[in-house]
Amino acid sequence: MRRVYVAGVGMVNVGKHVDKSLRDLAGQAALKAMEEAGNEVPEALVVGNMLSSLVEQENLASLIGDHIGLRGACGLKVEGACGSGGLALMTGYSLVASGLFNKVLVVGVEKLFERPSADVIRGLAYAADADYELIYGVTFSGLNALLMRYYMSKYGVRYEELAYWSVLMHKNGSRNPYAQLRNEITLDDVMKSPVIADPIRLYDSCPLSDGAAAVFLVSEDIKKLTDTPVTVAGVSNSIDSTDLSSRLELDYLLASSTSARNSLKMAKVDLREVGVAEIHDAYTITAALSIESIGFAERGKAPKAWSEGRFSPGDKPSINLSGGLKSRGHPVGATGVYQVAEVVMQLRGDFPGISVPAEVGLTQNIGGAGSNVTTVVLRR
Amino acid sequence: MTTIQRVWRLKNTLLNLLASRCSVCGHVTYPPKMRCPVCGSRELREESLPREGEVLSYTIIRVPAKGFEDFTPLIIALIKLGDAKVLAEVVDVKPEEVSVGMRVVATVRRTAQTIDGGVPYVIKFKPLRS
Repeated sequence: MRRVYVAGVGMVNVGKHVDKSLRDLAGQAALKAMEEAGNEVPEALVVGNMLSSLVEQENLASLIGDHIGLRGACGLKVEGACGSGGLALMTGYSLVASGLFNKVLVVGVEKLFERPSADVIRGLAYAADADYELIYGVTFSGLNALLMRYYMSKYGVRYEELAYWSVLMHKNGSRNPYAQLRNEITLDDVMKSPVIADPIRLYDSCPLSDGAAAVFLVSEDIKKLTDTPVTVAGVSNSIDSTDLSSRLELDYLLASSTSARNSLKMAKVDLREVGVAEIHDAYTITAALSIESIGFAERGKAPKAWSEGRFSPGDKPSINLSGGLKSRGHPVGATGVYQVAEVVMQLRGDFPGISVPAEVGLTQNIGGAGSNVTTVVLRR
Repeated sequence: MTTIQRVWRLKNTLLNLLASRCSVCGHVTYPPKMRCPVCGSRELREESLPREGEVLSYTIIRVPAKGFEDFTPLIIALIKLGDAKVLAEVVDVKPEEVSVGMRVVATVRRTAQTIDGGVPYVIKFKPLRS
């Protein structure tokens, strides 16, 4: 396979964009990434999205591609629930690595603020098993709450220990100009926020978000497009059961573990070399399960580790300098692309929030309650 | 929100708690699959799970999905039934009285109306009173 480089990235501020449509958000991020890549024109457009049905729109690659003047290019959409963005990046990678194209633009986009929130909550739950889970009315927060109580009960972890993750993320996100929730919060704020799905409270959860991010991938042949090329050194995806009932383990994300191991192997990188990481902390419990399944902490030990200052800015790895899903926000199908854009900027040294010097970065993007996980390893 | 067709298709599984047991490695999985998730064998046989079990984890949903407003607060649990686990609603108990390790038994109850106006019945679980 050919080496693949990142020639440019683009992001729009994550938030509630009542004034912008799905195509406006995607177009803005896409054009920014193209500008960074010296206004090169991509030969293919890969779109990551989960829930454009909420705005009654499919056929996204054509819609967005035409909006930014790419008629005639190849266009497709990739879907893997909340992990759609990571999968889109992996698809774009394979199109370049295989030699089919030299220049591929990956765009993740999500537009949630259009319909009443009950419709959005129902839509997000489509990532779960419609036959055997949704028939009981369980929500996505509910499924994660089941994992959270199981974890707390098995390892004797207290609610406050998990909730402290949210405090840390708001602190990081307060410095990120692209973040949706830029206010700092206290543990007391988390513990007084309303219960959504016991034990998950509002502040244990990521917000609903609109957003779009883009990453311009190029082959070795044309890496001269950028003075600061970042290599996509490894990328791997792994699936697990959609339903929680048939999971082999409830306190470990097997797909995340497999995906991380394979992407690191592909990149010939040891986990200890990772300087910065963006992980998929949709809920505080997801942060713990992600950190442990990637291998940054032992099982049941992640909350203790972060309460002692592990993963904070400057530590190796520094995790979620963006503020993570909790503070940056979670524009579902765009999140995996934001993560890659953020880590690319960290490695280049031009991330506009908290920035730490690093040679190697990692992103981990989850679809469903751990059922579809993409890990990307990036190297300067 | 679901449909009448879906409930009809799932009637055997949802009402009889049909799981699949692998004839090669013995792994039991619910819901049933077409290949064994552990060893990959296609030699699976259907088997009804026991109707009594124990709560492994639970949640009380306060912000409902559309269509489940009348069922809120909604208690959802992962329940160990023999060699498998099942996700289902727990009824006949106050939210503050549910606990991990609680013994429960299957019961047939009404769930939220389908899009097409059907009133489906599914297996839910209630506390096993000794």
